Amino acid sequence: MNHIFSSLATEQRKQKIKFFFEKQKKELMKNKNIVLQLVKRNIKVQYRNSAIGILWTVLNPLLNMLVMYLVFSAFFGKDDPTYSLYLLCGNIVFNMMRAATTQSLTSLVNNRGLLTKNKIAYSVFPLSCNLSAIVNFAFSFIALIAVMVVVALAYNITVFSVNMFMTFVMIPALFLFSFGLSLFFSGLYVFFRDIMHFYNVFLTLWMYLTPIFYTTDSLPSYMVPIISLNPMYHYVQYFRAIIYGCAYGTMSFPSGMETLTLYLIGIITTVTGTIFFNFTKHRFIFNI
Amino acid sequence: MKGVSMDNIESTENIIEVKNVCMDFYMQSEKIDNMKEFFIRLLKGKIERQKKRILDNISFNVKKGESIGLIGHNGAGKSTLLKLITGIMRPTEGSIEVNGLVAPLLNLGAGFDFEATAKENIYLNGAILGYSKRELAKKYDEIVEFSELQDYMNVPIKNFSSGMVARLGFAIAIDVDPDILLVDEILSVGDENFREKCAKRISELRNRGVTFVIVSHNMAQVKSLCQKALWIEDSKMMAYGDAGEICDKYLEYCKNIKH
Repeated sequence: MNHIFSSLATEQRKQKIKFFFEKQKKELMKNKNIVLQLVKRNIKVQYRNSAIGILWTVLNPLLNMLVMYLVFSAFFGKDDPTYSLYLLCGNIVFNMMRAATTQSLTSLVNNRGLLTKNKIAYSVFPLSCNLSAIVNFAFSFIALIAVMVVVALAYNITVFSVNMFMTFVMIPALFLFSFGLSLFFSGLYVFFRDIMHFYNVFLTLWMYLTPIFYTTDSLPSYMVPIISLNPMYHYVQYFRAIIYGCAYGTMSFPSGMETLTLYLIGIITTVTGTIFFNFTKHRFIFNI
Repeated sequence: MKGVSMDNIESTENIIEVKNVCMDFYMQSEKIDNMKEFFIRLLKGKIERQKKRILDNISFNVKKGESIGLIGHNGAGKSTLLKLITGIMRPTEGSIEVNGLVAPLLNLGAGFDFEATAKENIYLNGAILGYSKRELAKKYDEIVEFSELQDYMNVPIKNFSSGMVARLGFAIAIDVDPDILLVDEILSVGDENFREKCAKRISELRNRGVTFVIVSHNMAQVKSLCQKALWIEDSKMMAYGDAGEICDKYLEYCKNIKH
């Protein structure tokens, strides 16, 4: 008799475990669909009322670069034929992080209508902002390639190489970094609405502390170790090296150690962000 | 013999089990939502938080296929209870067990992005309700037809009238295949025709064995739609039982308060 009961119990337990996993799988599928729809929406809404629509995602970084090029080529890197590439590489990498984190910052509060009326995993909102930033990055990459072709032809130099495909190694690391930040700031924003202003100022400072338009060798030597504490410095330099630096010969191919550094920064940030997010998420609903 | 016992098990199975649930809200006397204020008050030692009990020791079970009406005055805690059942909030004390897919119908159109078109909103809301893309493609026509907004699918919702928004919201929400449908005071949307259509659809779902939890201030509606009613007053559970009986008690109570 006992035996029958215990086997019945294990059968029930098995059923429960099976039910649990099916539920998890369903939940995962559901979240995947939500993220997909949100990413689509983010990208469509960006340029909905503009005449040339999605083309802006390519033109935007290009025009940005042009302005910076006109302003800064007079001061820096005048005789460097790759200066436009230097600018554009720095710009689109920094902009991916900037767009992802600024959009994520307000994403929870902006979607409060959805959050307070439906059961949704909160993290889908910062996640979708980060994914749409990657999509925008891909469009910017088209602009980058266009500029590379122009530079290569105009100066008759080699900028293209297979190293470009290392972008696929770098982007996940940058994604981890900006996703971690996004989790942290979107959660904090629920409690403190004024961090938006702080963050905007902070981003400006951060941009100037990242070698986007200046080169590190134009800095006083004591600044270099300070600058290298900035995570974005590593991502930006890495990207330049793989896009044109090692083909042109101004930079060496990043070592395994450099790649590892990018991933370490990314993973540490995501883990920290996730811990903060999970620790505070049960109180979001009362403050949102 | 076995079949009979199986049937018994099914009909007595609790689909929602609410056990000793308490819910506390922290009310700041003045809401602080920025850092400046927070740190100034922290330095002055002036962060006061008042605990307020929104739900106090609520326990009840709902069986599969039953319809429950939640009644009580505004601010009694009915909507909070629905949010707890949905899983949007977690109870401070006690436990809630829900065995099935819950579709919340709280405040129609709240989940809409007003910049996006009706079509995009159907896809986003469908994903939130847990449809796969393939299922949604199938249901899309049904939803459009039910809402009677065929000509407006590519129009941003910000250009819709409030009645159109509510219709679209209802059409999406009602097209779910849930085990439990939570309805919060929304059965009065749209014109007469549309309301009739909604009522028909709801009775269809009820016949299919869907469990309903309905918040309503319309006692006639509760009596006609629900078998049971749960009366919450001032965050406490006053009574739970036969809908007709409880509604009469509640109406009596309201009369006494007035006099």
